[in-house]
Amino acid sequence: MPPLPADPAAEAAAETADRGLAVRAAVLLVALALLFLVSLGYLLYARGMFERTQPLVLIATDSEGVRVGMDLTFSGFPIGRVRRILLADDGSVRIHVDVPLAQARWLRESSVFVLARGLVGATSLRAYSGILDDPPLPPGAERQVLQGDATADIPLIVGSARELLAQLAALTRADAALARTLVQTQQFAQRLNEPGGALGAVLGDGAQAQRMAARVESALQRSEVLLARSDALLLRIDAAVARADTRVLGEAGLLAEAQAGVGELRGLLADTRASLARVDALLAQAQAIATDVRGASTDLDLLRAELEASLRRVDQLVGEVNRRWPFARDTELRLP
Amino acid sequence: MTAAEPAAPADRARRRVAARAWLRRPGRALRGWLRGWWQVAWTGALLLALVVSPASYAARHRPAQARQIVAAAAQTLAWFTLLALLASVVLTHIVIVTAESYGLTRYAIEMVVRVLVLELIPLAAALAVALRYSLPAAAELAGLRRSAGWSSPAMRTPERLRALLLPRLLGSVVAVPLLAAISGVLALAVAYLSLHGLTLWAMTGFTRIVGQIFDPATVLVFSLKTLAFSLVVAVVPLASAVHDAPAASRTRAGLRALSRLFVLLLLVEVAALAAQYA
Repeated sequence: MPPLPADPAAEAAAETADRGLAVRAAVLLVALALLFLVSLGYLLYARGMFERTQPLVLIATDSEGVRVGMDLTFSGFPIGRVRRILLADDGSVRIHVDVPLAQARWLRESSVFVLARGLVGATSLRAYSGILDDPPLPPGAERQVLQGDATADIPLIVGSARELLAQLAALTRADAALARTLVQTQQFAQRLNEPGGALGAVLGDGAQAQRMAARVESALQRSEVLLARSDALLLRIDAAVARADTRVLGEAGLLAEAQAGVGELRGLLADTRASLARVDALLAQAQAIATDVRGASTDLDLLRAELEASLRRVDQLVGEVNRRWPFARDTELRLP
Repeated sequence: MTAAEPAAPADRARRRVAARAWLRRPGRALRGWLRGWWQVAWTGALLLALVVSPASYAARHRPAQARQIVAAAAQTLAWFTLLALLASVVLTHIVIVTAESYGLTRYAIEMVVRVLVLELIPLAAALAVALRYSLPAAAELAGLRRSAGWSSPAMRTPERLRALLLPRLLGSVVAVPLLAAISGVLALAVAYLSLHGLTLWAMTGFTRIVGQIFDPATVLVFSLKTLAFSLVVAVVPLASAVHDAPAASRTRAGLRALSRLFVLLLLVEVAALAAQYA
């Protein structure tokens, strides 16, 4: 402990010094308290605690990059602040945004909200109001957020590129079909340039190709001979055709005779038709005769019936005579 | 041969004793190490109990408390503020130029605030107060104790704790947040001026970014960290002055207090980082 002062002057000096110290200490403490309070007030102001706000709910499918306290911007200016982020029962994300009343005029019924993620930097929440004459957005309005994600397609692209590269690698592998085909095409081209030429390339064997070439040559020679003989044959056929033409189509040819024959045939047919007409008449007469014969046969039936009745009576009479005549003889009477 | 035989058991006994002492040495060191930390914790608890006790602020204690508060703050405030200002200017300039070269200017303020205001300045303030005030104050107390011949329990009477330890504790506890707060505000001002120049038109955007950085969790961690720094800086050297044997080497005692101080500051910093970013 510090030693106590001995005389009153020293005691007064010490007391003055103590008072000065106390004032300085109080100033320091007050400064600390003021700093603390001012800092707290500034932070509360910076976090928007003294602003009157209206709520806005943005509905998104993914909350990645969204954090509490981040800004909602309009034309690059912050006009709202994310207060909380909730996962709704239907799996959607509900982003509650506090919009200060002073800034709420930038949000209209037709405003569009976009959640944009860049390749570098934080996610940003933006509002676009195309028609500023529309009615203002009511407090507590719920809007869908359009998500513009520059990185969303990257996995898809990377996947496709990987697949493409794998296929390309498979295509360009040394034992791949393409490489083998190219090698064989090259061999084929080389053999086309060899002495055997295309034939050798097609047949695959030099000696056989030469043999085949010789055979082709002989076949060509034979075909030339064949063509010469065909020419002669054609000349003969030509002459035969000329003769046939004279015979068939000439004035005394087969065709003229046939034409005359046809004329005669036509006269013959006319005669035949007349004969047939006469036959028709004859047939008509024959039909009439037949009708008469049918009437005569009816009369014959009557006559036969009468004859049979007469014969029966004769028979009865003969039977009567026989009964009365004692000589037995054949009594049967036969009709012709 | 016969003369050497009686000497062999004595030799063996001596060796056994030496081996036992060698084996006991790590145990003693561990016990000493644990006792040292326990004394720090115990002294800290005693002093905190006194801090919240109204009797500690009786009129007769106030002059000593005022003296220590003024001594702690006045000794460090000017030069630390100047150094913090210089460091802020340099670091802010580096960060802003780097951010501009990568086209990331909008993140420069956030980085300056996070690195400088939240991390570096509180740690630097704690170290400054420790080196300029609390370690010398503890050494002064140890000298006073040596000259008066007080034992360790004699130092821990409530009256002596109130009269000698509590004022020095209050000096450190006030000085660390004060330095951190003043330097933090200066660093924010430097960041604003470096980025926007002498204009007030960018204040809205700047305020908004500051508000986004200092969310409630960050403010809580920052406040607790600064408080913990100030308590560590205040308690560890005083505990060493109270508990270490008066005959012990002053340098050795000071080094032990300094190493404990660094370890605890590091632990607090790691815990704060884990709480904020993990």
